[in-house]
Amino acid sequence: MATEIFNKQKTIDLRKKHIGPSCKIFFGHDPIKIVRASGQYMYNEKNEQYLDCINNVAHVGHSHPEVVRAGAEQMKLLNTNSRFLHDNLVQYAQRLQATLPQKLSVCYFVNSGSEANDLALRLAWQHTGHKDIITLDHAYHGHVSSLIQISPYKFHQLPQPQNSEHVHVAPSPDIYRGKYREDHPDPATAYADEVKDIIGKAHAKGRKIAAFIAESLQSCGGQVIPPVGYFQKVAQHVRNAGGIFIVDEVQVGFGRVGTHFWAFQLQGEDFVPDIVTMGKPIGNGHPMSCVVTTKEVAESFMASGMEYFNTFGGNPVSCAIGLAVLDVIKKEDLQGNALRVGGYLTEQLEKLKERHPLIGDIRGCGLFIGVELVKDQIKRTPATAEAQDVIYRLKEQRILLSTDGPNRNVLKFKPPMCFTTEDSDLVVDKMDQILTDIEKALDLGLAASKDTQDMQSKRKGFLEDNGHELCPNGTSDLHHIPKSNKKQRTK
Amino acid sequence: MDLLNTNTRFLHDNIVQYADRLSATLPKKLCVFYFLNSGSEANDLALRLARQYTENQDIIVLDHAYHGHLTSLIDISPYKFRKLEGQKEWVHVAPLPDTYRGLYRQDHPDPAQAYADTVKDLIDEVHQKGRKIAALFVESLPSVAGQIIFPNGYLPKIAKYVRDAGGVFVADEIQTGFGRVGSHFWAFQLHGEDFCPDIVTMGKPIGNGHPLSCVVTTEEIAGAFTANRVEYFNTFGGNPVSCAIGLAVLDVIEKEDLRGNAVRVGSHLKKLLKQLQCKHPIIGDVRGVGFFLGLELVKDRVTLTPATEEAALLIKRMKEKHILLSTDGPWESVVKFKPPMCFSIEDAERLVEQIDLILTEFEEAAQQEEKKK
Repeated sequence: MATEIFNKQKTIDLRKKHIGPSCKIFFGHDPIKIVRASGQYMYNEKNEQYLDCINNVAHVGHSHPEVVRAGAEQMKLLNTNSRFLHDNLVQYAQRLQATLPQKLSVCYFVNSGSEANDLALRLAWQHTGHKDIITLDHAYHGHVSSLIQISPYKFHQLPQPQNSEHVHVAPSPDIYRGKYREDHPDPATAYADEVKDIIGKAHAKGRKIAAFIAESLQSCGGQVIPPVGYFQKVAQHVRNAGGIFIVDEVQVGFGRVGTHFWAFQLQGEDFVPDIVTMGKPIGNGHPMSCVVTTKEVAESFMASGMEYFNTFGGNPVSCAIGLAVLDVIKKEDLQGNALRVGGYLTEQLEKLKERHPLIGDIRGCGLFIGVELVKDQIKRTPATAEAQDVIYRLKEQRILLSTDGPNRNVLKFKPPMCFTTEDSDLVVDKMDQILTDIEKALDLGLAASKDTQDMQSKRKGFLEDNGHELCPNGTSDLHHIPKSNKKQRTK
Repeated sequence: MDLLNTNTRFLHDNIVQYADRLSATLPKKLCVFYFLNSGSEANDLALRLARQYTENQDIIVLDHAYHGHLTSLIDISPYKFRKLEGQKEWVHVAPLPDTYRGLYRQDHPDPAQAYADTVKDLIDEVHQKGRKIAALFVESLPSVAGQIIFPNGYLPKIAKYVRDAGGVFVADEIQTGFGRVGSHFWAFQLHGEDFCPDIVTMGKPIGNGHPLSCVVTTEEIAGAFTANRVEYFNTFGGNPVSCAIGLAVLDVIEKEDLRGNAVRVGSHLKKLLKQLQCKHPIIGDVRGVGFFLGLELVKDRVTLTPATEEAALLIKRMKEKHILLSTDGPWESVVKFKPPMCFSIEDAERLVEQIDLILTEFEEAAQQEEKKK
């Protein structure tokens, strides 16, 4: 395939014409066209290199030759559904299971994180016979209908409140910005008690809990690391109520946290969830995902008598790719790399924090790091505009980073696992300069604040001229949506 | 894969080229695409689009329909929900327009209108309950329900009724798209040039097995979906590898004239099966178009008692002869043919020959049983 078929403007025009406008693009006023990628680097149509600090999906590095080879070779041989026996499926299930606690032994293969989380819900409902789901504030579990209902990150953005009766939202265990902070004597118990209260209230209304679901580390919620012990306590409350614990590893699995293969393992050896969902990095970008659960839950699901068939799930090509990813993680000691480089990057960022008042918090495990920007260290006022500024300026320096969190002020690092200390030095160096510039502009009193306002209103004006709106994670819109469109009907 | 595989938040030529090529196969007003990874994801998005656009909640589906395995889709798949959670109050089921076994059969003067009227009546019932229709979801050719071919005129009529009621028409082409019917690229096109759904979902064949699917709709519907300012992001959907594969599939369909093959070999196969039907009373009905065919087995051509055990035995015996076939329909009595589009005349002849032999063996065995009595 040629790297470029159309010139960039034609690509933009065709995209505006044919691609759903809800599908946002990074840096809408000046989007990036990527034609090639390798390792932790992406290349635009002019062959200019960008350092990718965003793409946890390209887990073992973009276009890793071993993964490509495994996929291509299997595609030549066979790609069919799981109603026939095939070795790749069973071998892959076996290798995955070996990374997990023993009781998590039954795998279902599907094609996306969303499909996995939806199946996890179905498993929970069937196993417990209950209906209600407890989710965390600012959680994001996927884009299909059932998951938007349990993703406050999404349903909070909707114009009409969409609170579903069967969904209960617990406070996110964010010890920097949440209800109980780092100065609280026991935030794990405090946050877990919130869940206990929710269960109590649900029971008082005659409702029953099917499951508690949480991302092991909230990403869209702002790179949140739950205090150790939180999951264990919550699990106890939920299981006492007849529910089960679903851990969503879609963003963070496969060694990203460095010390462990799965992020839930950070909570301690004594914590074992009932269901684990995996996605994103699992196939280095290939559409695949997985749900692993216990025999008991799987048997309940089977007892309904209805087949679960997923047309593409568990096909030999996906499994071959999944196996290759596991092999590369091991061979290249990527988990070790995440620990070392992640530790190094965190250290460098901590040094930056000492010099930059804009940095409120640095938190992370391995190559999952968040830098929360604030205008005021005490009040912790989110520095939303400044965070956007940082990522725009980094993009000009050819470094790709994104923001998230409910206030869009957390810079998130979750790069391909082959990220190096040199890459870390580069990012930190550029961030240092950029933060210095931004802080200077803020510090120079009225004159500077006017400048900053000018800059910001210029940016806003530019964006509005082009019909763009900034979205929570820094993406924006290529399209201008005339208000009249909404109510038109085809009769 | 060697070059690049990343998400749609960056510009890339493959996705726009692919959308452009797909749009060329569709009526003009269907021009806005969303790419996803499975038929189920596609149908779920179609539901979301319909509800956002119409601001209504209720969905009409056909009996025995199957639209996917996600929670939201089990709710609109009688094939599934009848055995699981049961029917939700916002789901309404219209009789399957099966002119062989359904409410109105081949001897009815106007089955299309009669079946369409059942949808009209259903809409009235919904309105009387104070509810409003968001969409009518229909597989362009119901497969799981037993390889059903709609009576002529049925789809355009029901589309009109649902639109009059403020809903949209969703054509699920996941089983049937990409030239399978031979005469057209999309099965909904069998209903005439003037017939155009509001949303079309595609899956299964689209990537020749690669996890890929698509939803296409009108600018108005896409605009309404965007108007709430919430992003739609699908991590893997529309990635350059999936689009490259999708493009290659379109190229091969064209280069190898697979649609033409579906017409030629499909009609030959149908002819052979009809000949078998004359010979074997167990074959109640032969129906289909292109490479989408069904053979309905019955124990009795008058009472139409489904020959479920015989159908199961037939495919078991065929497997022993190294020919893979499956059954479907509410009683698993319809043998379904939807082979890869490169199926040949020789394959068709061998297939029919073996079915003939096996059905003959069944009849001989039955005669022996009769003699013993």
